[in-house]
Amino acid sequence: MNRPDELLRKAVHDLAGTPQLPADLVTHAILGGRRIRRQRRAATALGAMVAVIALATPFIWLHPRSAPSVTAPDPTAAELRVLPPPDDNWRDAPLELPGGWVVTGATSTGGPASDGLVLDRSQNRYVKVDKYEETWAAPRGRFAAVLDHDRPGDVGLLDVPTGKVRWVRTGQLTLNPEWSPDGTRLALTLLDKETGSSSLGVLSVDGSFQTFPVDTSSGWANRGPGQYLCTDYCLFTWMPDGKQVALQQTDPAVPRTESKPHARRGLQLFSADTGKPTRFVPARGDAAGPYSWSPNGRLVVIKGQEATQLVEVDSGRVVRDLPTIDLNSATLVWVAAERLLLISAGHATLLDPTGHPLERRDLPPELTGLRIAVAPSA
Amino acid sequence: MTQRTEREFTAFVNERGTALLRVAYALTGDRHSAEDLLQSALAKTYVSWSRIRGDAEPYVRRILYHDQVSGWRRRARRSEVPVAALPDLATGTDDDHETAVRLLLRDALLRLPPRQRAVLVLRYLEDLSVEQTAELLDCRIGTVASQASRALAKLRQLVPAFDDLVQRTEVHR
Repeated sequence: MNRPDELLRKAVHDLAGTPQLPADLVTHAILGGRRIRRQRRAATALGAMVAVIALATPFIWLHPRSAPSVTAPDPTAAELRVLPPPDDNWRDAPLELPGGWVVTGATSTGGPASDGLVLDRSQNRYVKVDKYEETWAAPRGRFAAVLDHDRPGDVGLLDVPTGKVRWVRTGQLTLNPEWSPDGTRLALTLLDKETGSSSLGVLSVDGSFQTFPVDTSSGWANRGPGQYLCTDYCLFTWMPDGKQVALQQTDPAVPRTESKPHARRGLQLFSADTGKPTRFVPARGDAAGPYSWSPNGRLVVIKGQEATQLVEVDSGRVVRDLPTIDLNSATLVWVAAERLLLISAGHATLLDPTGHPLERRDLPPELTGLRIAVAPSA
Repeated sequence: MTQRTEREFTAFVNERGTALLRVAYALTGDRHSAEDLLQSALAKTYVSWSRIRGDAEPYVRRILYHDQVSGWRRRARRSEVPVAALPDLATGTDDDHETAVRLLLRDALLRLPPRQRAVLVLRYLEDLSVEQTAELLDCRIGTVASQASRALAKLRQLVPAFDDLVQRTEVHR
């Protein structure tokens, strides 16, 4: 180790210091833990109260950028319809959401892990998955993807009706596995340790696995950035056709800062069969998955640099800002031509394209804090 | 939670709490924030205690880093700990000089954004490899490298004496 490195190491150790553990730390931690449990139990009651408040509150969080190309707000729009909350036996049947969709599963992300949940479509009921840190339910079919943090570099294909898992060596995932809309393939964003670049991994439920290198690297002193430069958070997500995947592209002309998400120039699409680029979409943000794209293919919901946005696919024009929807913690999907479903803060809310809430249903408090997967009911 | 759980949890905190608090100090740069960060991480750990398999310490560390770093976008406006302007170095012996650079570096570390500081803490305090750092922060190896590079560049800018030292080291290679 050289002298600057030694000095820096000492400075970091200086910063850590030799702190004294506060005598009451354990007590406060236990009290805090009990408070978290109470909050989770209270989520149902709170959810009902929020729904009532929403009835009386003007809906203001969608701000059109310009004349919207989608339906204008209807001044006589109907009041919010609040559906009955799930009962204690909700696990015994598919949990129906506004818009005719259902919850297909729920998973914790990162540790400490909570029990996951997945819809067993052969029995039409939910099963608990407590052996793995992460359980990613597919939108259709009989499989879920499971991750065991003690098996880095492996992805498990859980056959939900039988409980059997087939482990496939894929290499290190950098982010979540993403299911194709038909539930037959997973798109995996993999790390190439040699180059620091990414690969697209495509894992089929029959266990076949392919990887396709995609040069996303920032470049080094002796070479420029990769052809498909992606920095910050980079994730291959499926397109609605189930044949292509999208990858966000960093705008190299905009200085990058860690104080906010890196600016994007658009989304590059690739064939999931060949890994070859197919099309560029000038939507300057991150698309979360196949249901981020409107059924008619004209609009896409993206996580922009400053806010969630509705964007025209062909032109990249921002139709609306959705400033209060944080896609780091919420899910927003198109469920029909003129309907979006928002999963956030313990509720599932059906919206029209202007953001007006039409129907809302509380989610079971057991799902609080978990990443919830939703899909069409059929 | 059973009494047994509380006993196990208390024993764990008593045994590993100081080491975890050091990490929290290095991440936050001040005592109150460090204790808040650790207390919050321990509370979450307590809730999940019965589900944690094996050693709980990696779980707590993971929460510490994620709580401090993953919310960096929301905390962006208060991400850097304000410190007084860094003073110039007085002349003196080599040892005095090195100590002074070290102190300036310590202050300069507090000026780094949380994510960059977390990378340096993982690499220099916890002695993790680039791959392990990437895994713990849920990011790519390239991101770790770029964060470390930016952090070092900023430290060199903030502490010219450190910059001189790096340049001299590079010349002698």
